[in-house]
Amino acid sequence: MLGGFIFLLAPQSWTNKFQFAFARIFSWPLNISRSLSLSARAKQLPMDVISRIEYDRLQNHLSNVVQELNEAHQKIKAIGGLRERFPAMEGAKFVIADVITDAVSGLRSELIINRGSDDGLAKGQFVLGDNSVIGTISSISSRTAQVKLITDPTSNIAVNVPGLDVSRLMRGGGGEIAKIQMLSISHKVKTGENVYACKKPGFLDTPIVVGKIDKCSRDDENPSLWNVAVRPACDITKLNNVVVIIMNPQQQ
Amino acid sequence: MHWVRFSVFVLAVIVMQSGLVDVIALASVRLDLLLISLVFFAVHYNTTEAIIASFAIGFGADLIGSAMGPHIISYGLFGTSLAYLHRIIAVRRMPYQAIVIAAVGIFAGLLIIFLTYLKGIQNPPNVYAVLLGSSLYSAAVGPFLFLPFAWLMRIRIH
Repeated sequence: MLGGFIFLLAPQSWTNKFQFAFARIFSWPLNISRSLSLSARAKQLPMDVISRIEYDRLQNHLSNVVQELNEAHQKIKAIGGLRERFPAMEGAKFVIADVITDAVSGLRSELIINRGSDDGLAKGQFVLGDNSVIGTISSISSRTAQVKLITDPTSNIAVNVPGLDVSRLMRGGGGEIAKIQMLSISHKVKTGENVYACKKPGFLDTPIVVGKIDKCSRDDENPSLWNVAVRPACDITKLNNVVVIIMNPQQQ
Repeated sequence: MHWVRFSVFVLAVIVMQSGLVDVIALASVRLDLLLISLVFFAVHYNTTEAIIASFAIGFGADLIGSAMGPHIISYGLFGTSLAYLHRIIAVRRMPYQAIVIAAVGIFAGLLIIFLTYLKGIQNPPNVYAVLLGSSLYSAAVGPFLFLPFAWLMRIRIH
């Protein structure tokens, strides 16, 4: 009981080391458990179509390129014809990390990955899966890090929908969706529209696709607002590796 | 109790809880194998062994949980209470075992939510619905798992 209270009162960064150590030591059985879980959920695909994962990856890449193109066009228009290429991620470093284990349920949506502060990772950095933003680094140790997914009920990230030209906070809805909050019904929201993570100085220099609007209905508590459900742009539970964006990598 | 067997058993349950139970999850409601194990050890072993097992299972649950501490305290407290209660009332029939799993799941879960809040970690808005669903799901399935658990731990439960 005393041990329990020590753990409870100790700083989170200190107690997280136990969780990271466990994930590292038992990464092999945890990976097997996750793989079995994934293969049990996997569906048989016909031979003449590409896999859902590949399709999502290409679709997200296309969405990012289109958005990049749109922004470049807007800049050209605004500056008066100057040819200016969108400076997407120039100088940024991308760290590829394997997923050790995931916890995607109604209460939590998190991943533990096999990269940490030794690889230049830090809290708040954006994490990509199949070319779309899937979450941010929430806690970190030297060799592992925890990723809070966009669907986690405690996750909050700023997003915008290009057609609406407004930025709003998107909060995780638990399970497989996230919700955009405080969006007035005066905006015309279309299902299937892409949602982009807003630029965040030092963390993200260009908007990157987060997901698509899955459902839109009037908010039960406040009928003057939309209740917008956003489905992530990729199937997060099937990711085997992710990419962490380090916008200002330290020179070695 | 054979403690090496117990350790392997708990590790296996933790590994399954962190991944495999998603296969049989109903919407966002997951089966809580650690809760079922807690009740199993509390009602089938002597008081001292049950108390040690409760704290160990709580520690395991914290290792795959959102924070360290809440599960150890909550599972330890309710496992200990259940072990002492088991001296007076034997929980042998399956419906009673299901009721105990549901009750321990709900009350231990509420304490975990409170302790997590005390630790400064935000609880998700649907936490109570998931807690209730998970406890009832575990209560429905748990008594049927006692037989394989008993076989794995090499004990007779009837």
